[in-house]
Formats: sequence, structure tokens, C-alpha cells
Amino acid sequence: MANGAWKIARGRGNAQLPLVVVVALALILVLLGMSKAQSGMFDQVRAHVTDFLAPTLEWARGPIHGFNRWMGSIGEIFSVYEQNLKLKEENARLRQWRNAEIVLEGRVRHYQALLKAVPDSKLNAVLARVIGRSSKPFLQTLILNAGTRHNAQPGQAVIDASGMIGRIYISGQRTSWVILLTDLNSRIPVTIAPGNVQAILTGDNTRMPMLEQLARTATVKAGDQVVSSGDGGLLPQGLPVGTVVSDGKGGWRVALLADASQSQDVEILNFAEPPEQLPPDAQLPVEAAGFKPMPPPPASSAQPPQTQPGAATSSRPSAPNPATAANAQAAATPALKPVAPPAQAPVPAPTSPAPESDDGISADQ
Amino acid sequence: MALADRTGVSTALRVFVRQLPLLSGIFCAFLANIPISIAGGALPPPLLALVPVYFWCLVRPDLMTPAAAFGIGLAEDVLCGGSPGVWTLSFALTYAVVARSRDSFAGLSGLGAVLGFSVAALVACVSAYTIMALSHWNLPSPGPSVSELAMTVLFYIPTAMAIGALHHRLIGPLRSDA
Repeated sequence: MANGAWKIARGRGNAQLPLVVVVALALILVLLGMSKAQSGMFDQVRAHVTDFLAPTLEWARGPIHGFNRWMGSIGEIFSVYEQNLKLKEENARLRQWRNAEIVLEGRVRHYQALLKAVPDSKLNAVLARVIGRSSKPFLQTLILNAGTRHNAQPGQAVIDASGMIGRIYISGQRTSWVILLTDLNSRIPVTIAPGNVQAILTGDNTRMPMLEQLARTATVKAGDQVVSSGDGGLLPQGLPVGTVVSDGKGGWRVALLADASQSQDVEILNFAEPPEQLPPDAQLPVEAAGFKPMPPPPASSAQPPQTQPGAATSSRPSAPNPATAANAQAAATPALKPVAPPAQAPVPAPTSPAPESDDGISADQ
Repeated sequence: MALADRTGVSTALRVFVRQLPLLSGIFCAFLANIPISIAGGALPPPLLALVPVYFWCLVRPDLMTPAAAFGIGLAEDVLCGGSPGVWTLSFALTYAVVARSRDSFAGLSGLGAVLGFSVAALVACVSAYTIMALSHWNLPSPGPSVSELAMTVLFYIPTAMAIGALHHRLIGPLRSDA
């Protein structure tokens, strides 16, 4: 360039802040940022700036997205036929898996009802649109058009149709910043199936984040499924994350299911683990509710003739109120009914009422 | 009265023009951190804010002071969404290197000027990488930093031309008036 052609001023201002002081201030800022003491102030400024820019970003998103799609589709023109065949094959395979999934889901519901398993937490979701994305060397983020007005809060998981892509770390009123799983600052607890191995998924700004803090005795192999573990209560349990791949150096990485660079519409999971509460006495078996078990009734006259064999062995509570007796009978009933064999699935209806908590979470969810 | 008005306007204009390097740096930081990627996030945005720091540190160091470089780095930190202070310290260190070797950098022209800026950008990127590595106690992948360095050097020529035009039209006359 023509730097040499410009006049170079030799004078320096008298009121300058000395360079050493500026470097020292910057160093203090870095240390404060590391201690997270001042990050909140920075985050607030960022949230305000993004809220201010949100309409512009939404306006600009359409043409940019269209341009990117157009650019991306140029290379696909020549492979449309092969892609079509692959998609048909994949579609047929997915239909088979869908049928199998329906059968298995029904079976799991049935077993949960039989075991009176603690129900999974119910998740509310906010649908949001990606209005901005930045891929810096030390920061990989998405900006969504949902903020605190839409009940999007820092810490909530963000997923797309394929799996988890990250979690919110700044929420403005109308926008949110998502830290991606690949980001240098991202660390989430995960479970590796089928061995139920616990690990930490650590981003390092590459496409495949690392698996760290694996137990020495843990057995992991390529192709294992990775889901969120829910440890710490920050993220829901069981969100699909990716599959294990070897990094070639003795370590393990995760090929993510979701491609955040292609995500356009995402879900923000409003995960707040409800406190586990005991079911009311009326829904417990009589012994658990603190009542004495009934002695077996005399076989002579009390038994109605149409009662099926075996039903007479159920404890008829000397219940002080009829509701408890009815519930006790209902609770005892499943153990007396034969379990439908797996081949008879799809969905055997649970024979006992699913325990339902105050917030509407029931066992069949 | 008219003379006083004219003097007042002239003073206000002079104050504004003197802040132009700082304002253009902040504007460049804003421009580079608009979260829209034409490449679909495949390429990192360039460090546009470094160009005014480098340019005016060589040409008018009385306008691009260390405090102005600090402010531009702070703006970059706030707008990029990363850890606070990383780019502030990087810009301050780059400013220190460029200011110390000002005579060497200022004499460059043509491809040499691009190489000179490349050295400054390298200092900034290496500084940021080192700060992040130390703060996380982990070596991040250097690939994205190299990509950012390449993009910054690639965008230097058009940005420097725009800043040069700004300098000639506004800041240059200010200097001759003084």
C-alpha cells in the first residue's frame, strides 16, 4: 500500500494514557473476565445490542439464507439422481424403525406403569429462529429471536430436529445467544450408551468435540451413542448428542448429530426439574400408606362367584375410606394380570392409573 | 457573531474529526461482528478493527492513542461475545509492537505494507490465542485463528483504501489547518 506516501506525524499527544497503563488495564480486564466477575456487565451490553439489532438481523436473514442455499445447491445439481435413490432407501429404512419405535415405546410405557417408575420430567419448548450466527476463532454462537419475553433463560438446552446443538448463555428481551457444543467454552455432562459411561463433552472449536474425564475402566468404542446425562440438573437427560469416533491418538471425540451451521429453526427446552414429591396416600398401596394389610377373607361366602381366580388374594383393605380401598385394589391389580408378551405389542393399556403429580406430569409421558 | 459561530462550528468539527480514528475503529468492530455470515459460518470474520489501529498508529499516533486502541479493543470484545479483555489486551499489545517499530512499518509500501500489516495481525492473533490458551489452560485448535488471520490480511487492502480516503478528506485538512 502507499503508506510511505502519507505524512507521518512525529508528535505525540501530551494527554495520552501511557501504553504501559493501558496494557495493565487490559490485563486486569482479562483477569476479571476469567473470574466471571464482570462478564455479566459485558453480557448485558451484548444483549442490549442484539435486541436493538434484532429487526435488522431478521430482515437480513432472508436474502442471506437464500443466497447460502443457492450457493449450496449448485454442487448438488449433479448428484440429484443419486441423492434421490439414497433418500428413498433411507425413507424405507426409517419407516421400519418407526414401527419398531412405536412397539418399543408402548412396551416401555407399560413397564413404567407396572414399576411405578418416577416419570420423566415434562419439557416445555419454545420454537425460535436463528437470526444470526458467528464463527469466531474462540467463540461459536447462534443468535435466536426468542428472549426473556418468550421465557428463554440462560442454561436452557437448544435442539434442532437432529439433536442438541448447544445451550443459551445470554438472554436479552427479544434475543438469545447460544453457545454451541463445539465452542471452546462448552462443557456438558453426557452418557455414552450402551455402557452407561459418564463423561464430559468439551468443545475445542473443532467440528467434533472431545470426550473427557472418562473413567479408566470405561469401555468405549466407535459408534456408541452419546446423550446428555442430566447430571447437575442443568440439562435434560437423554437429549441425543452424537456418536463416538476415535481421534486416532487414543482419545475419543463425538460426531454431532446436529449441524449447527445448517440449523434454521430450533427448540429451546424449558427444563426446570420439578421437585420429586411423594404421591398422595390415596394412590399408594395400603401397606405404603401406613394401613395394616387385611387378613385374607374367608373363602366361603364373601367371594362373589364371578370373581376370577386369584383376585381373592388381593388385600381388601379395612380401609377407613372407600377411596383408599379402591386405589389399593387398583394398585394391586397389575400384579395379578398377566403381562402381555412382547409379541403382542403394540400398546397394552396400563391397568393401574398412572401417578400424576400436581403439575400434570404423568407416568405415560 | 458570525465569526464566533464559524469558530464554534469549526471547533466542534475539529473535535469530531479528532475522534474519527476511534469512531472508525468502533464502526469497523461493529461491521465485522454483525452476526450474519455469507459463507454459512465456514469462515471467520476479519479483524477489521485492527486496520484503523494499525493505520493511524503509523500515520497519526497523536490521534490513535493507546487509550483509543484500548477502546477499540474493548468494543471488539463487547460486540464479538467472547471472553472480556481478550481483544483489548491483544490490540494494546499490537499497538505497542507497531508503535515501537513505527519507523520500520511506516516506510513500507505496496506489498511490503501488506506484509507489515500481516505482522501486526499475526501479533494480534497470536496474543489472543495465547490469552485463550492460558485462560482455559488448554491449547485450542489453531485452525480458526489461522483462518481469521488470513481473512484479516485479505480484507486489509479494501479497508485500508477506505480509511485512507477518510484520512485524506477529513483528517488531512485538519492537520493543514493546524
